Amino acid sequence: MTDSKYFTTTKKGEIFELKSELNSDKKEKKREAVKKVIASMTVGKDVSALFPDVVNCMQTDNLELKKLVYLYLMNYAKSNPDMAIMAVNTFVKDCEDPNPLIRALAVRTMGCIRVEKITEYLCEPLRKCLRDEDPYVRKTAAVCVAKLYDINAQLVDDQGFLEQLKELLSDSNPMVVANAVAALSEMNEASITGSPLIEMNSQTINKLLTALNECTEWGQVFILDSLANYSPKDDREAQSICERITPRLAHANAAVVLSAIKVLMKLMEMLPTDSDFVTTLTKKLAPPLVTLLSTEPEVQYVALRNINLIVQKRPDILKHEMKVFFVKYNDPIYVKLEKLDIMIRLASQANIAQVLSELKEYATEVDVDFVRKAVRAIGRCAIKVEQSAERCVSTLLDLIQTKVNYVVQEAIVVIKDIFRKYPNKYESIISLLCENLDTLDEPEARASMIWIIGEYAERIDNADELLESFLEGFHDENTQVQLQLLTAIVKLFLKRPTDTQELVQQVLSLATQDSDNPDLRDRGFIYWRLLSTDPGAAKDVVLAEKPLISEETDLLEPTLLDELVCHISSLASVYHKPPNAFVEGRPGLRKSLPARNENTSASNVPQAAVIPAPQESLIGDLLSMDLTTPAVVPTSVQPPSVDLLASGLDSLLTTSDLPAASSSNTGLLGDIFGFTPTPVSYSPPKQLWLPSENGKGLEIMGTFSRKNGQISMDMTLKNKAMQPMSGFAIQLNKNSFGLTPARPLQVLNPLLPTASYETSLALATTGLVQRMEPITNLQVAIKNNIDVLYYACIIPMNVFFIEDGQMDKRVFLKTWKDIPAENEVQFTLKNVLCNTEAIVLKMSQNNVFTIAKRHVEGQDMLYQSLKLTNGNWVLNELKIQPGNPNITLSLKLLAMEVAQGVFQAYDAILHS
Amino acid sequence: MGGFYSYFKSLFGEKELRILILGLDGAGKTTILYRLQVGEVVTTIPTIGFNVEQVTYKNIKFQVWDLGGQTSIRPYWRCYYSNTDAVVYVIDSVDRERMGIAKDELMYMLKEEELNGAILTILANKQDVEGCMNVTEIHQALGLDSLKNRTFQIFKTSAKKGIGLDEAMDWLCNTLQNHK
Repeated sequence: MTDSKYFTTTKKGEIFELKSELNSDKKEKKREAVKKVIASMTVGKDVSALFPDVVNCMQTDNLELKKLVYLYLMNYAKSNPDMAIMAVNTFVKDCEDPNPLIRALAVRTMGCIRVEKITEYLCEPLRKCLRDEDPYVRKTAAVCVAKLYDINAQLVDDQGFLEQLKELLSDSNPMVVANAVAALSEMNEASITGSPLIEMNSQTINKLLTALNECTEWGQVFILDSLANYSPKDDREAQSICERITPRLAHANAAVVLSAIKVLMKLMEMLPTDSDFVTTLTKKLAPPLVTLLSTEPEVQYVALRNINLIVQKRPDILKHEMKVFFVKYNDPIYVKLEKLDIMIRLASQANIAQVLSELKEYATEVDVDFVRKAVRAIGRCAIKVEQSAERCVSTLLDLIQTKVNYVVQEAIVVIKDIFRKYPNKYESIISLLCENLDTLDEPEARASMIWIIGEYAERIDNADELLESFLEGFHDENTQVQLQLLTAIVKLFLKRPTDTQELVQQVLSLATQDSDNPDLRDRGFIYWRLLSTDPGAAKDVVLAEKPLISEETDLLEPTLLDELVCHISSLASVYHKPPNAFVEGRPGLRKSLPARNENTSASNVPQAAVIPAPQESLIGDLLSMDLTTPAVVPTSVQPPSVDLLASGLDSLLTTSDLPAASSSNTGLLGDIFGFTPTPVSYSPPKQLWLPSENGKGLEIMGTFSRKNGQISMDMTLKNKAMQPMSGFAIQLNKNSFGLTPARPLQVLNPLLPTASYETSLALATTGLVQRMEPITNLQVAIKNNIDVLYYACIIPMNVFFIEDGQMDKRVFLKTWKDIPAENEVQFTLKNVLCNTEAIVLKMSQNNVFTIAKRHVEGQDMLYQSLKLTNGNWVLNELKIQPGNPNITLSLKLLAMEVAQGVFQAYDAILHS
Repeated sequence: MGGFYSYFKSLFGEKELRILILGLDGAGKTTILYRLQVGEVVTTIPTIGFNVEQVTYKNIKFQVWDLGGQTSIRPYWRCYYSNTDAVVYVIDSVDRERMGIAKDELMYMLKEEELNGAILTILANKQDVEGCMNVTEIHQALGLDSLKNRTFQIFKTSAKKGIGLDEAMDWLCNTLQNHK
């Protein structure tokens, strides 16, 4: 036997047994079999193969069997869409069954069978059921319309089901009304156009209101939810709807209560704010909300999330109910946190004492999250209720005294906010805060503390030491701490420029040179430029008066709040997010509160007024003193040049200092500033050319660069000897490209011990030529008062690429052909991580010009030309495969000796 | 009690006989079914799916399956073939155009192994309509001469008027009893 046996249908096994049982003559056996099938289905076994056999059991007068078969159909019709058609006739028959239960069951199941092919056959039975004499059948049929709409919206429209549904809104049975409403609102939400399918009018609304009193609680929820979507034509209608809904507030079902509150919140928008009616209604809203808080925690949480919105929209409703939001010891943490939030929102001058004593107690609890939030809440109270600020601060100080680590950290974070709200009021406590410096290990607390130190640097004698202590582990800090540290030190420097230069240099170089974080680097560069070009402006910017933080920073944005109020008692009000933020696929209609009829401006949205605090004279004096010191006068800076940064900060820093110290400073600064943020042409990093052991105490680091058509040798000379050095001069040996100094070497005279000096020596190519090995080798002699010192270095080839190296296209083509094939050299550039465009740009910045670009067989071909200072041309071809970091470089040149150097230049430039 | 009663019935070998009513759409299958069951003409709509009813004729119990005749449903006839004792094939005697299709469907059906033992009754229905084909014509059109090893009989009927059904059922009962 072959393996085909495995594919032949087995006449054994469970499925086969079930099949024969299903086809049994005996009803009892049949029913047992269907039960077995359903059991298998429930545990996840695939019994879809029995579809025809189960469907054949469908026509039975046994209700139990019928229900089971329907259950099966709902599950498997989708996997047997063609075969499902065999069930249609039975549905049609069952919809005419004398038993209303069977009729309803049939229409319900039909709605659940989501098979496009059979939906049209089901329209006729559905139509009959919508007109059924039995309310239960009508109600079920109403829901079925919404289901059908989900499968085929057009069909619902074409078949006139909408009109029938609308008629059901005036049905004599409240349950039918409620379900018709539910179906309609579901369809409205799913509507593709976004516009409601059926506009409600005052008549239908009236009918809904009548049905509201009689139907079940869930029916009430449906009706209330759809009332919330109705916009009354005037405030009289709004008021009358409010009146008729108000009794629902006393309902035992939380969903009914919340839905009623939603409608009332919405309609109250339309009513004049100062009317007696609104005042009474506001009073009536409080008790049901309070009652919701005596339910089980899960419901409490939902209620609290909704109350959070209500309190933001209408603080008046619950203003006297502070006590119910006090945390109970056995509340689950999520309820506790939410209550805390509402407590702060309700805090006012009247109840602040009570609130504070509660909060202080919470801060000594055991749950860390809760304690943190409690400490934060104290800070928020201070910011919200000005009269309580003093008390809050002293409470916070008490808490800091407890030395509980996370309490202290949290307290420092909020104290920072308090400082921002009430500047120059509580600074006396800074010394106390500083005592806890060592214990801060959370980024936010560290950042806050650093901010405080920087902001009040002039009042903290050892601010520099404190900040310096943070600087040690700069790279291990969190970004927000790094940013804060940078800003704080710059502030400190601007306030006390004399003794903090080193610190500021250190932090600037840490931020700009050693950091990978673009934000940090950018901020570093901005400060740097600011300090070096215009210290006055720097002061204006960095030490500018900050706007006071607003009363409550965590209020929801008003339009979002309005939208969420329309979604009270739904998931959106729990998430505090509009539905389209978490429900996929449905654009849906954005809900908004109705506009008030009369013009009441935007009075319901209090604008956070920010009043600038009177600047205290001390700071003002300090600032003006600094500004008038001659030390920082040179704000009129030279016209922008490449050296702008260096010269600017040099003048800022050197003027008031001793010459000896200044030389060392300039050297260091020059070093820092020699690093240009975006080097235009490639220059390798400085290398150690002459170690001090070989240079009799002189150490030389250097590199070559090409700027403005000029080659220069950039060197840092450092005196590591014990005596000053002077009388520097330089000479270059004959070399391959005829490099020779264009000017004499400029070095500070004398170069004191431990000082270093940055110099740039311009070079010309007019010297004597001698072939070196390798070709880029250069031998240098430096003379000073101690000795003549020799060293050799390698010149990167790219400094010889001259500016007019762009070859004409035709000339290029001709030259390419003319150069014999043996003059072609091929290299592979490995791990180049830039794309073709970036390569073109990078190379052109280094005087390698792209003549042509072709795209052949998925590869980019670049043809480039360059010209050396000695007039030799080099023609290059680059083969770039997208996604492949290795690039093939072919050079065609007459002077073969330079090939290796050109390749190295390419390699260095593309990896820069 | 029901279980006890049915136990006795099965002891006496009174088994329900399974009959399929097949034929093209609009041939009158559902009307025939209900004529047999309740003895009246009911208004019918096209059967999308099936009807199954218990019919008692001369103390013999039948389980009669009336399957929809539309093109889309015909492929599923075969799901009902197993254990079938007799097939009643209904022909619309007026529908000359589709006689060919009726023949093809019939022949296709008779090839099924599961129906090998089933006896065949062909009802030339709608004989009350003027201009209809007579039994001989239909016999020829369906190519019944070629049938081998098959017990079958053709009857002219009118479900609407109630003509011919009793004869057909009598023959069916007798043949089924003799068959055993």
